[in-house]
Amino acid sequence: MDKAKIIEVIKKHILENLEDLKEEDIDPKKSMKDYGANSLDIIEVVSCSMRELNIKIPRSELTDIQNIDQLADKFLQYV
Amino acid sequence: MEDDILSYSLADFQYNDNPDVLAPPEDFEKWINNPRISASFSFFEQQLLTAPKASTEILSNIDHKKRKVINLTSYNYLGLSSHPEVIQAVIEGVKKYGLSASGAPLLSGTYDLHVKFARMLADFKQKEDCILYSSGLGGNYGAIQGILRKNDYFVLDEKCHKSLVDGGLLSGARMLFFEHNNIRSLGMMLEKAKGKRTLVAVEGVYSMDGDLVKLPEIVKVCESYNARIYIDEAHSTLMFGENGRGVAEHFGLEEKMGVSFGTLSKSFGGVGGFVCSNAKIIRYLKCYSSPFNFSCAPSPPVVAGLIKALEVATRDSNLRDKLWKNVKYFKKQLLDLNLDLGGTESQVIPIIIGPSGEKLFKMAAEVQKRGLFLQPVDFPAVPANARRFRISVSSQLTREEIDQACNIIEDVIAKGLKK
Repeated sequence: MDKAKIIEVIKKHILENLEDLKEEDIDPKKSMKDYGANSLDIIEVVSCSMRELNIKIPRSELTDIQNIDQLADKFLQYV
Repeated sequence: MEDDILSYSLADFQYNDNPDVLAPPEDFEKWINNPRISASFSFFEQQLLTAPKASTEILSNIDHKKRKVINLTSYNYLGLSSHPEVIQAVIEGVKKYGLSASGAPLLSGTYDLHVKFARMLADFKQKEDCILYSSGLGGNYGAIQGILRKNDYFVLDEKCHKSLVDGGLLSGARMLFFEHNNIRSLGMMLEKAKGKRTLVAVEGVYSMDGDLVKLPEIVKVCESYNARIYIDEAHSTLMFGENGRGVAEHFGLEEKMGVSFGTLSKSFGGVGGFVCSNAKIIRYLKCYSSPFNFSCAPSPPVVAGLIKALEVATRDSNLRDKLWKNVKYFKKQLLDLNLDLGGTESQVIPIIIGPSGEKLFKMAAEVQKRGLFLQPVDFPAVPANARRFRISVSSQLTREEIDQACNIIEDVIAKGLKK
């Protein structure tokens, strides 16, 4: 699986969890918080994405991640 | 997961897609039964064998031995849980009223004691009225669930207590978190909520860091957006302010607080929660706040003890003065050991250990064996790079007990961190 596919999965779950957002509006260089996600939304997006990608990464390793692109890089290490 | 089992935490098992709804996630069992993880869980639910005084006795989960310890963990900040006058009031209360209110407040659970205590608290907090809850957690989520509705906005400091978060979820309001005590971040969230009914939640003292809310700046930005403020004074009531009314009094901003919440289990030494506000919203809450009207009212003898606790704590400043003297002395000793105490400004003093959970729990076992009841706090309750111990200073501690505690902290924690 490549990074583009991972970003696609993350975007899908962002769209499922956040209102009033279109896929073309999501810039991977931005944080989910920039699109109005609160910490509970982010947990949901990350959990659902990991489940779909069939990976498990400790939350303690995700605490320094700043944006969607970095999250995809981290996921890529585990797929 | 086998290779990095220690990297996992409770944050990793919240989501559960096990096909059997009555089974935890498949890898949860494997994780929690690992001997190294079980060892860290042994710090939970250790039994206290006597009152939560400055010196108490526990049944240790580490080696299953009874151990006399200096207590740096209980929330009995002013010693009121075991104050002789409070105990006497509880005894008289139980003789007169029995153990239980035996009913929800609206039907049969309201006693003269509840009415008297709620009035005392409203007067103390200088608000029009007060509603009592059987638990602190129930008070916070009951008030938020009772006040907010689906199209409202609930803006919270990211370090607010779980009870506020759960109240927000239950209310269906849109929830926005701002960076801890960051006024710019708060402004950005209020901008998103502009024009909507908005409640901003902050805490007087943040429970894991012991720092204070930046209330003057927060009041200013909330006023500019016409947002109302809900302050949780769980760890500050009876301690901060000239009269012990809390951090809002400390900053001279009580009249700006739309709602003032407090617990009855910390400085008060009992159990329960209370919410003070204008009379109309309290009346409304009594109709729509589920933990109030669908729960048994607080136990009457406990309320009898709480009435006495409020009297004792406010008739003079003795207990408060003792507490702050202890905090000042304790903090100085810890700073002299070059420990990282974060940004504490209160009786809650963290000792930040860093990213290693293994180191934290090793030290935790050692301090307990040496005679300290000082609990570790791990991720996700605190950031993964700032795992810590958390000291709750009490007015009951003697100078000798603090010195003895500091000796153990120096030997185990300060020296351990240098290795």
